[in-house]
Amino acid sequence: MALSRFSGVPLLIFWVLIAAILAVPVLLFLAVAFSPRLFDQGPEWFTFSGFSQAFSGPLLRGVVDSVFVGVTSALVAAAIGFAVAWVVVRTDLPGRRLWTGVMFALLLAPSYLIALGWERLLEPMGVLDVAGLHPGGFRDLFYGPFGVIVVLTAKGLPFAYLAISAALRGLGEEFESAVRVHGGGPIAATRVVVALISPAVWSALAIVFAESVSDFGVADTLANDAHFPVATYSLFNAVQAFPIQYSVAAAVGWVLLGLIALALLTQGWALRSRSYRVFGGRSRPARRVHVTGVARIGAIAGMAAVLLIGIGVPSFGAVSASLINGLGSLLTSHGLTLANYSRVLNSPELRDPLVYSGQLAFIAATVTVVLGAISARILSRRGAHLSARLLDMTLLTAVALPGIVFAAGYIFTFNLPILTTLGIQLYETTALLVVGYIATALPPTSRVLLGSVSQVQESLAEAGRVHGSGALGAWLRTVLPVLARPLVTAWLLVFGATLLELPMSQLLYPPGQPPVSVAITKALANYDFAGGTAMEVVAVLGALGVVAIVWTLFRLVAPVGWRRLGSTG
Amino acid sequence: MSVALTSDLAAAGVATSGHHVEIKGAVKHYGRARGLTGVDLEIQPGRFLVLLGPSGSGKTTLARCLAGVERLDGGVIRLGDRIVSDGKRHLPPERRDLAMVFQDYALWPHLTVRGNVSYALRRRHVTGAESRKRVLDALDQVGLARLADRYPYQLSGGEQQRVALARAVVARPGLLLFDEPLSNLDADLRERLRVQIATIARDSGATVVYITHDQSEAFALADEVAVLDGGKLVQLGPPEQIYRSPANLFVARFTGSAGEFPGRVVGADATHVSVEIEDGSTLQARPGGTLMTGAQVRVLVRPAATRVLVETSSRDVTLSGKVVDVAYRGRGYDHVVACAGGTLSSVFDHNRWPRGAELTIQLDPDGCVAYPDELGSDGSPT
Repeated sequence: MALSRFSGVPLLIFWVLIAAILAVPVLLFLAVAFSPRLFDQGPEWFTFSGFSQAFSGPLLRGVVDSVFVGVTSALVAAAIGFAVAWVVVRTDLPGRRLWTGVMFALLLAPSYLIALGWERLLEPMGVLDVAGLHPGGFRDLFYGPFGVIVVLTAKGLPFAYLAISAALRGLGEEFESAVRVHGGGPIAATRVVVALISPAVWSALAIVFAESVSDFGVADTLANDAHFPVATYSLFNAVQAFPIQYSVAAAVGWVLLGLIALALLTQGWALRSRSYRVFGGRSRPARRVHVTGVARIGAIAGMAAVLLIGIGVPSFGAVSASLINGLGSLLTSHGLTLANYSRVLNSPELRDPLVYSGQLAFIAATVTVVLGAISARILSRRGAHLSARLLDMTLLTAVALPGIVFAAGYIFTFNLPILTTLGIQLYETTALLVVGYIATALPPTSRVLLGSVSQVQESLAEAGRVHGSGALGAWLRTVLPVLARPLVTAWLLVFGATLLELPMSQLLYPPGQPPVSVAITKALANYDFAGGTAMEVVAVLGALGVVAIVWTLFRLVAPVGWRRLGSTG
Repeated sequence: MSVALTSDLAAAGVATSGHHVEIKGAVKHYGRARGLTGVDLEIQPGRFLVLLGPSGSGKTTLARCLAGVERLDGGVIRLGDRIVSDGKRHLPPERRDLAMVFQDYALWPHLTVRGNVSYALRRRHVTGAESRKRVLDALDQVGLARLADRYPYQLSGGEQQRVALARAVVARPGLLLFDEPLSNLDADLRERLRVQIATIARDSGATVVYITHDQSEAFALADEVAVLDGGKLVQLGPPEQIYRSPANLFVARFTGSAGEFPGRVVGADATHVSVEIEDGSTLQARPGGTLMTGAQVRVLVRPAATRVLVETSSRDVTLSGKVVDVAYRGRGYDHVVACAGGTLSSVFDHNRWPRGAELTIQLDPDGCVAYPDELGSDGSPT
């Protein structure tokens, strides 16, 4: 074995850590669905009673609603994602970078913030009401499955866009040309293209469906406010109920996992025994279509609508609400004011959650990036190692796992009496919340870093060793500079996501110490709409500020050679 | 000054010029695949040894075990009078007083040329004016002093290779390892850099282990050539010996063959055997081992042993055949000639013989070697 490889005792410690934070909590939680007695959660050693409850009454309604919004938002997001990808990749429409930027902004925006932005505009005594523009029927429409689907579609859109645009970019134009020279029109050519990139389309459908049924942000806000129950909220309710119904919650967890597995199986079934190998070295890059006239106006209007619905309206809703005096209260006059921001910065009730979340996000991002880099290193090893394959499977499964299932797994496992007996008392502590954040962020971070880590030639560190550095020194002096940019990017992604994270925060926060996402939803639930949205705006600006500061520091402090790597121009 | 790193080996009384290298019974496995299966090798200080072999022969594995970036599963490696590796102990690379030029150069992309070259000096705590002088000297040697502030991506492939060479020699290590350093370069550059490597490496006084699969490169560079096959050392000796007396058919084939002819030994004198080949002709060849009359053999013909005859005398050992291909080589033409008993390639002549022409080819008996035939006449194992 090459010396630079991670092995022996450190590898064992790493695996114990992975098992403790990723595998065991979820597995134990899922097991309670079948055997409540095993964990002192009921009299039966083996039962399906949790499932019978999950498939009856309001819980069944939640599952059905989840499937409905999942399927609908998947179909709509795939269709819009295809259109956006087509415009960006295949036309000369202006502002293509802007549209791509919108997709990434949507990817990073937490779904509950998008939902809350819409709600602040449309709710009774909300911004539009205060402005005298009563939304009436549209409000009733939005506070229901329609609104939930709109927000979930906006959240799913970037996944569909990324999958489909990648496929479109690689597809040469000869297939469309062949349709056209044999008598087919533009629609026939488009149908051929859709057929050729169907792996990407199916992938988009599966990912958006999985993301939508797993979502907790909309479930906890808009869907809950609209009395439109979905499965993730049913699971949350079961864990929050008194007495806690872990076996029912676990059964709902199994249902969510089953739905995701079903989506992936459907994708596999749709693509079975067909070949889609259409990319080759001889493909001629497709030309951009020059869009003119009505089509140009229509395309720009469509893209603007996506921007407005996904980013513009929610941002406007949040910012405008935060500037209105006494929004949500019974005051009759509502002036514009910055007092809400002053409250956020000065009142401990609103400020402390921001500071607390910032600290936790800093710790979680740092630890996650270290563990993610180690995971990526193990995954990128040459040759098929059992440990790498096992880790790959664990991380992929964890990526697909709904955040709320993770959170419920944590609350269940770390509340088990046996842990108290063993002297492990993490339940309702900040430490457990941080571990939960790390567990949530580690799987996607490892996948993000895998690309960069596997591109680093082993000879770089080996050259460091044979020219005089020890193992750690060689890594720090030769590999870290090459990976600095992706590591910083990963750190920022985890920091931003953790700062605004909802499901883990909602279930695991220590009493009296709410993180910012919980504090926002609490303020809003207490009708402090202006304070809640001001906190929301400050949190988002804070995250963007940290991004700016970190990149500025990187530019100022990192050696010039580090900065050149991965930059363009 | 010296150096924490010159270090363990220097402290152990190893000369700062070249290490004496001794490998005994080196074994290395990759899962079920065998990298090395018991290699014994000794290199005198300051000698230039080339490890020659095809892909998968174990030459890179052996060099990496010498460098310490791979652990031996069995056997012993000794640098100077110190064991640096055996089945249990393993001195890490940074404490072996060596340097390596990698096949992909492995220049650190975040460091300038100067930063790359001075790396080994910094690790040895050589800093300041002394470091600057040595870096510039090393870059001067490879003709790159003017590019000291560039980054690797701003250099051509040949320039990158020369930076890797300067980086390797700058700290004056006791052992220099080269892992196919010329394989990514075009023919002209290969030749120029080969000369540079030969000169600079020898001037450094270090013991050199150089890996290649190219026999002409090996013969041009080496004081000694070690031929590896399937993780085993099959022959060790000066280039002349390897070429003139290859130990077996594999070595003979790998170090240059114009063709082979299966046949049967029909007679012998003090230096040569007579072999009757399939078309009834008789060839003279040096025996590549003990051969009895009647033994089935394969006669391997070196390219330099062939000559096109315009006129023949009865004493010439000749073969007749038809030209099936011809390639212009600048100073003349290489012909592929199909004879009744086999095909000869690389038959050189200053004249171009057209495809289809009938040629008579003289074979120099000293350039033909007969080996016991382990394959059938169709080339399959018997």
